[in-house]
Amino acid sequence: MMLEKYLCVHNPRIQAVLTLFLILLFSAGPACGKVYIDIDSPSFQQFPIAVADFKPLQPFPENDKLSLLFSDTLSRGLALTGYFHLLDRKAFLEDPKQAGITADNIRFEDWTVIGAEYLVKGGFQTDGRDLVAEFRLFDVIRGELVVGKRYAGKSGDHSRMAMQFVSEILLALTGETGLFDTRIAYVKKSVSSAEIYTINFDGSDPRRITNFNALTLAPRWSPDGRFLAFTSYKEGNPDIYLRNLESGATRKIGFYPGLNLPGSWSRDSKRLLVTLSRDGNQEIYDMTVENGLLLRLTRDFSIDVSPVRSPDERRVAFVSNRNGSPQIYIMDADGANVRRLTDLGGYNTSPAWSPKGKKIAYEGLVNGIFQIFVIDAEGGDPQQLTFEAGDHESPSWSPDGRYLVYSVRGYGRSRIEIMNAGGQGTRVLLEDKETSQSPFWSPHLR
Amino acid sequence: MKRSWGSVGLMALVLCLSVSWMTGCAKKATLQEGAVVTQEQKAVAQAPAEATAADTQAARERALRDQALSDQAAREAAEKAARDAAAKAAKDAADQAKREAAAKAAAILKELQIADINFDYNKYNLKPLAQSTLKSGASAYLKYRDYKLVVEGHCDERGTAEYNLALGEKRATEAAKYLADLGIEKERIKTISYGKEMPLDNANNEAAWAKNRRAHFVIFPPVK
Repeated sequence: MMLEKYLCVHNPRIQAVLTLFLILLFSAGPACGKVYIDIDSPSFQQFPIAVADFKPLQPFPENDKLSLLFSDTLSRGLALTGYFHLLDRKAFLEDPKQAGITADNIRFEDWTVIGAEYLVKGGFQTDGRDLVAEFRLFDVIRGELVVGKRYAGKSGDHSRMAMQFVSEILLALTGETGLFDTRIAYVKKSVSSAEIYTINFDGSDPRRITNFNALTLAPRWSPDGRFLAFTSYKEGNPDIYLRNLESGATRKIGFYPGLNLPGSWSRDSKRLLVTLSRDGNQEIYDMTVENGLLLRLTRDFSIDVSPVRSPDERRVAFVSNRNGSPQIYIMDADGANVRRLTDLGGYNTSPAWSPKGKKIAYEGLVNGIFQIFVIDAEGGDPQQLTFEAGDHESPSWSPDGRYLVYSVRGYGRSRIEIMNAGGQGTRVLLEDKETSQSPFWSPHLR
Repeated sequence: MKRSWGSVGLMALVLCLSVSWMTGCAKKATLQEGAVVTQEQKAVAQAPAEATAADTQAARERALRDQALSDQAAREAAEKAARDAAAKAAKDAADQAKREAAAKAAAILKELQIADINFDYNKYNLKPLAQSTLKSGASAYLKYRDYKLVVEGHCDERGTAEYNLALGEKRATEAAKYLADLGIEKERIKTISYGKEMPLDNANNEAAWAKNRRAHFVIFPPVK
């Protein structure tokens, strides 16, 4: 009854829905529901998964909307990971009134016959503002429970609960926890200033971190998740500041004459690679944050900038123009043994070392446009990952090494985009007229 | 000591009281005199001739007094006018001096202003035109030695934010070194890089980029 009314009112939508349905039918047909998409290995298969609408677990439910809110949020979260092929709920055969949410009252054939390998079910109960929800992931082929969780909270917590369970599903099926506990820091420029913002991995909850009304650049999240280092001109000179994200306090930690730029943290969040021009030229130093102690790593009368540590902390990649054009170099952690990594193209900058250590992402100039590349940290042929118009800049890896976030600007617009490490599955995290730039992926924050 | 102050206070109090008492007496006396005056006036009315003479005398005195008063007022007015005139002259002179100083300072600033110098893409070497701009610009700083300057380094929008911060600093430093070589004390020259963050022209073409690849010179007058 309600469905009919809905469809009548929104006629164009029904067409869109039907089209989508047909596309799904055709695409799912010959491949038997197995869609091969490169996530980070060439033969990765997406898991076909169904998410049933949640059931109220009380005789007189107070909030019907939650039933769809839970299943929609779960579906969106699962889709964002890129690991799941979500089955259209219109194809579901199960009678929701008859079926339950435990293995003993689910007809698993109803799900295997439509191509599902996994099924998410759940229920909820409200009491005023209190909310209790149960989530269960079933392997429908084996007909058994894989993981089940029960969360208690307030009525506004439904989407956090759903995202938490998406992480549980990922952990159960891939051994990784997913990225729903990560955020992305970025710089948003206005006419006369630039401020640091952060946003959830799924594009929700953007927050302004600094409000200095000054140029503020280069956010670098500490591996313990507690601090953001950045450069700000708030007192005139480009100095390095540290924002404590718990207390909101800001402390100035690098304020030598000339440039002070943060580079890359150590795993213990105690040392920060920085670019300083205190000795008359841009050089790279390893700074102990607590006492400001400096270890100088480069000694070259050219530009040395943008240092990044290898995950094992034995090496440092950085940008130098010591041979004319800006290129990426690698040195040992003490500054010894400098060798050039990139030699194709006349402008290669912004190195980002992958968390697993094998690859370095960077931006390089191709036909006058910056594109994102990855190169083996041991050297070799670079692989171009982006090809669209507009400058693609500042790549940063997700903590699991499966995605890259980067900025795109051109034609008066700017975007922050996410793609998987192979260059596919591009998703726009945010888009605006102002220049959003320099994204930096946080560590796991929980 | 405290005690003696106390006794002095007591004495003072007594003195005050007695004075006020005496004043009270005096008032009564005045009133009585007033009564006497009234009687005298009656007597005056009875003798008009005497009164006319007395009137003439009083009028003369009044005129004299008025004359003295108006003389004094005139004198005071003249003095005030003179004072005002002097103040105005001083103020005018000060204003004039200020105007002249401002004009002089403006002239000095104009003399000290070095035009922006431009760089090639991704380069920080000084081109011949930039060198001649700096040569002619430096002389004023050799003349006005209490003025300082800040050299800002800027880049065009292409390329990495961080690399451009370094590039902008190189540009500023090259210009600053050249100026120091021309004789301006190093301590008087500061540099700062804004990378590509503060373009002059936001357009997305070579003309705008060429304008944005620059060193800009900001004069710092002596702090008084």
